[in-house]
Amino acid sequence: MKYVVRALGWATKILWILIIVFLVTSVYSAMNVRIGFGDPQVVLSNEFVVISIPLFINNTGLYDLSELNITADVMDHNQSLLSTSTTFVPLIPRGSSVETAQNISISLDNIMSKAQIYLFNDTDFDVNMLAKLNFAHAIPFQVSTNMTIPWGAPLYNFSIGQISYNYLNLTHQEAIILISFENHSPYFGVNGTMQVEIYNDNNEPLGASVSDLNVPSYSSYNGQVGIIVDLSKITGRGEVHFYFETSAFSFGPVVMPYG
Amino acid sequence: MVEKGQIKTFARKFVPRIFRAALLAVVTYLPFFFLSSFTEPFQSFFPWYAPLTSMLFVTAFIIFLVAGVLTYGTIYQYVFGVARTLVMMIFFIYVLNGGDVALSVPIEGITANITVDLRVILAMLVLVCLLGIGKNVIQAIDFVSAKIETEKEQLV
Repeated sequence: MKYVVRALGWATKILWILIIVFLVTSVYSAMNVRIGFGDPQVVLSNEFVVISIPLFINNTGLYDLSELNITADVMDHNQSLLSTSTTFVPLIPRGSSVETAQNISISLDNIMSKAQIYLFNDTDFDVNMLAKLNFAHAIPFQVSTNMTIPWGAPLYNFSIGQISYNYLNLTHQEAIILISFENHSPYFGVNGTMQVEIYNDNNEPLGASVSDLNVPSYSSYNGQVGIIVDLSKITGRGEVHFYFETSAFSFGPVVMPYG
Repeated sequence: MVEKGQIKTFARKFVPRIFRAALLAVVTYLPFFFLSSFTEPFQSFFPWYAPLTSMLFVTAFIIFLVAGVLTYGTIYQYVFGVARTLVMMIFFIYVLNGGDVALSVPIEGITANITVDLRVILAMLVLVCLLGIGKNVIQAIDFVSAKIETEKEQLV
């Protein structure tokens, strides 16, 4: 009986020492893990806006970090899901560092299906981020947060002024349309072309023209488009249709009434 | 004369125990006191943790510790030993919130919800406590059997 008691006493002492050593070294190791984020990069491809957030983890602690899993859900103002992205790093051994990137891809189709909102109105995207990892293969750890990313409309406050006419000859005139908007997007410039078509109130085309656009982020556009129109079809009222072909998006028609 | 002798024996037996119990109580309370002072600024991050409840656990632990020292040499020493270890085990489960520690930390205007699964550490702590309980139970059995054997030998 005495030996059993002695063995239990030793087992208890050894276990206490192990727990204390593990706790102290865990706290020390956790304090020696450096996690940092770089500046987000926005890449535009044909179908996606990819927001790439560089991430580096320097593990100078005493234990491995494993199964790092970062998930980011992007939702619009109505809380409908626009994008889900996941970054997985199977192992970050002790004394090593890892550089990776969290790529959040948002389908332009997804955005363009709600183009009326996103092209012309500033709004916010909600981003829910969840990071999970296993510390020392024994302690699961997770951090979750939600943040708001502002979305700046590239065609904010798009409007046309009163149409004026320049006399050309007895059959044709030049319609001058004043156009203005502000590119509030922090991510991309509005670079491409804008096709303008003008119709009378009988829905007959009066004329069309194509203009180049080069509006950087956070700048405004005030321009005018001249269209040769058939004098006999002018009714004084109608619609102007705009079609945008830019490096970031293609959209049209944007219909603006006049007269 | 007899009474004076009894008091002397009682004092010789119990005064060192009382001093020992008092010393152990202080030694047990001091780490808790320093740990509480150290964690006080972070208490808002641990909503489940109530300092008063922890104080109750520590008080119960110290009472059982003192009782164990004062009843040294009797079966109650082990009973209080088991009770003390049980209090410690429940305290660990309470402090670690069943192994699931969740806290909210505001960082640069956003709130990060941190969850740490400490079930492995809690399991180790519970195991230590169970070993302690087992040790006390075996010591109690040993104590009783030794006492019975002594009584038998005296009868023979």
